[in-house]
Amino acid sequence: MNFKIRAAKMEDCKDISRMIMELAVYEKMPDQVKISHEELQRDGFCQNPFFECLVAEVPEEHKSKQGFTVVGYALYFYTYSTWKGPTVYLEDLYVMPEFRGTTCGTMLSARTVLFAQVAKKKQCVRLQLSVLDWNTPSRDFYAAKGAQDLTVTEGWHFIRFDGQNLDNLANEAPKD
Amino acid sequence: MDFSIRAANVEDCKDIARMITELAEYEKMADHVKVNQRDLEQDGFSKNPFFHGIMAEVPEQHKTKEGHTKIGYALYFYSYSSWKGRAVYMEDLYVMPEFRGKGIGKALMSKVAQLGLAAGCNQLNFTVLDWNKSSLDFYLSQGCFDVTANMGYHCMRCEGEALEHLAQP
Repeated sequence: MNFKIRAAKMEDCKDISRMIMELAVYEKMPDQVKISHEELQRDGFCQNPFFECLVAEVPEEHKSKQGFTVVGYALYFYTYSTWKGPTVYLEDLYVMPEFRGTTCGTMLSARTVLFAQVAKKKQCVRLQLSVLDWNTPSRDFYAAKGAQDLTVTEGWHFIRFDGQNLDNLANEAPKD
Repeated sequence: MDFSIRAANVEDCKDIARMITELAEYEKMADHVKVNQRDLEQDGFSKNPFFHGIMAEVPEQHKTKEGHTKIGYALYFYSYSSWKGRAVYMEDLYVMPEFRGKGIGKALMSKVAQLGLAAGCNQLNFTVLDWNKSSLDFYLSQGCFDVTANMGYHCMRCEGEALEHLAQP
């Protein structure tokens, strides 16, 4: 199947938003999605974007059952390790089920690879991501690509402040 | 004890590098540190910085035995959640042992939260080692939650040869 991988444009945000929801449904947390294509447009295509995105596109003749030609995406941003320097965080990697396990699915993995190449060009020395513990297909996929599970091997846990707890914390900051 | 919290500047990189090593030693991973003062100057204080810093400083009369007045720091950058939008990630939070228990760590973390909210973020994220009970207890007491324990997310990493393999088209 012919497909191409390209940098996302602002016009892709509706498709990206659709696929973000599909991924959230797969991860059994669709009620957690609070942003829409509008936030993606604002935050990904401003002067100092919060993220970058690649999309996978198929030609018209291979469009999905519902008529979509944008069938996969990788959303990522640049981060920093005080031990190693610039790094890349892969926030989402998703290909629509009907296009998985085919060349497109494999090639998007290769696109992750290409994206890792971009990350290397930016002198990034690490690529990080997170995966749900029950998501065996994804865990196997990343393990096959050489990813280490730092939660298992080193004991790292993600910690978060949000909502009222984040507001409370911020309110206690010293006055300037 | 009097202390002040302020944005880091390029002259702080020597002290930040020193304290990064101290924190890595505490986390039993000192040999993992490859970043030095020069890297921090380039990566944090150029046109498109990879990170921002907050410093905690004490007056001269409270300086350490070695003469340091810069006794804590927080290092953070902006990130993104495809579900929630703008977020801030706190990469490091550290206060030198002799200055702990005085609210300095809390003040640093609160400042990062305040700056994050001002930038439109609705999450403050970071990681902690599961054996680091005193840090975990401190964070939990401030109202955060353990995403790994509660939701099952694991931190994954590709680097070195694995990253190079990934980069072969």
